[in-house]
Amino acid sequence: MQYEVIDHLFRHHYGKMVSILTRIFGLAHLETIEDAVQDTFIQAARKWRTTIPENPEAWLTTASKNRVLDIFRQIKSSKNRETLVSSSAEAMHMTELFLDTEIEDSQLRMIFTACHPQLQQVDQIAFSLKTVAGFSSKEIATALLQKEDTIKKRLTRARKTIIEKQLSFSIPTGSELQNRLDITHKVLYLIFNEGFHSNKQEILIRKELCGEAIRLTRLILKKNQIRNADTYALFSLMCFHAARIDSKTNANNEIIDLKHQDRSLWYFPLIELGNSCMFKAMDTKKISSYHYEALIVSEHLKAKSFEDTNWNTILNWYLKYTNDFPSPIIFLNQAIVYLQLNDLVSCHKILKNHTERDFNQRTYLFHGVWAEYYIKKGDIIKATSYLNKALDQVSNTSEKQYLLNKKKEILNPN
Amino acid sequence: MKKFMMIFIGADYGELGLSPEEIQERMQKWFTWHEKMASQDIVVSGEALKPEISTISGKDKVVTDNVAVESKELIGGFYVIKAANLDEAKVVAQDFPDYELGSSVQIQEVMEFDNF
Repeated sequence: MQYEVIDHLFRHHYGKMVSILTRIFGLAHLETIEDAVQDTFIQAARKWRTTIPENPEAWLTTASKNRVLDIFRQIKSSKNRETLVSSSAEAMHMTELFLDTEIEDSQLRMIFTACHPQLQQVDQIAFSLKTVAGFSSKEIATALLQKEDTIKKRLTRARKTIIEKQLSFSIPTGSELQNRLDITHKVLYLIFNEGFHSNKQEILIRKELCGEAIRLTRLILKKNQIRNADTYALFSLMCFHAARIDSKTNANNEIIDLKHQDRSLWYFPLIELGNSCMFKAMDTKKISSYHYEALIVSEHLKAKSFEDTNWNTILNWYLKYTNDFPSPIIFLNQAIVYLQLNDLVSCHKILKNHTERDFNQRTYLFHGVWAEYYIKKGDIIKATSYLNKALDQVSNTSEKQYLLNKKKEILNPN
Repeated sequence: MKKFMMIFIGADYGELGLSPEEIQERMQKWFTWHEKMASQDIVVSGEALKPEISTISGKDKVVTDNVAVESKELIGGFYVIKAANLDEAKVVAQDFPDYELGSSVQIQEVMEFDNF
């Protein structure tokens, strides 16, 4: 009899097992735990060559549990026994910790540990992907376009901080929970964006990053004592974006802008899920940046074609967004909306108020919008000059191609 | 029908630092290969081996545990299969999943002593 192994079973199981074992043995033993769990998979890979067990997940869980007992015995006989599971009573509770709800609880503890304010943001992201999502340092490096050594350093630094600062493996409460939740949302948002907005990696890796961010956000969403309106908004935003991921690039990994995307490729069940979560997200007095972004994207998704887009509604959201969270990149997006509405004066006002320096590595976007502004004005010379500036600063090849196409378009209409 | 042993030589998955995702992918490929051979009814036997090695050698029968072997030269497992001839066995070995990890397959015919 042949049994199927579900996609990403090992990866996801890794995060689950590491979290449970950490709950039993403590964060101080994280590295030992990670190695032990990894061993279980290698064992499975050997064992399952000829027969896959009827319930692979249960097999892995049992194997991990046994591995724990092995470590438990080993360390018990060594000197540092006092640093380990103190009472046998706790060990007896171990079986309960392997129940589904407890597994989720342990995973949340791990997410919140990864997002502890004592850790640097880049470390929070790397540590989350490794310990919660089960990526190897090489996979993280590929996904984040970093050297593997850099990722290894970040992971080492995160583990060191966790031990030195004696961070507790727990879900914070009260105002501390709100603070931690904000950081966690941010980290999940960044992981998602890394997958959604970067066009440098293969589509497969990008989808996996988005998938992990969605999966982890969902874990928080399941806990009504923890989630808040922002979690719902973030989740909606992810759904809305993820629904469009296949229409965003063509077979050559070139960017297709919203105007030219094949809207029939959008995945509507995700849009509907996003919509229903957005209702819950709006049940709040304080609107977050995730709310605004989700509301704006959802307005785009409502339009059957680019021409049907309700730019006035979108502009209203941008006005509120920039009022609550003023940031150059959001103003720049607002400027694009003015262009769509043929309000060149307001667009110009925003562009004039900003300089290259406001946009760091994204100055090409700034010049790109200037170019669009001059295209609308019919000033081909100035438009070309701004496109050249943008081309000078863009590093991403698909975005570069997009700008080159644009240039060709205005220099040779039709 | 003759019998051939395929011996798999290469680094251990643990040694290679494969991710859980990659380990699952490996496992799935081995499983597919096994299914293919099983459906052709050519599998005689086969085992995967753990990477820990002990040797006993010399006239004094010196025992050495945890022998360090160049990881590329580690024997990871074997299959004994039925095949008409060496060429046919070579075809079967084409589907070995771990060539891309730098591993290799060594094929040797099993000696038969039926005539004695």
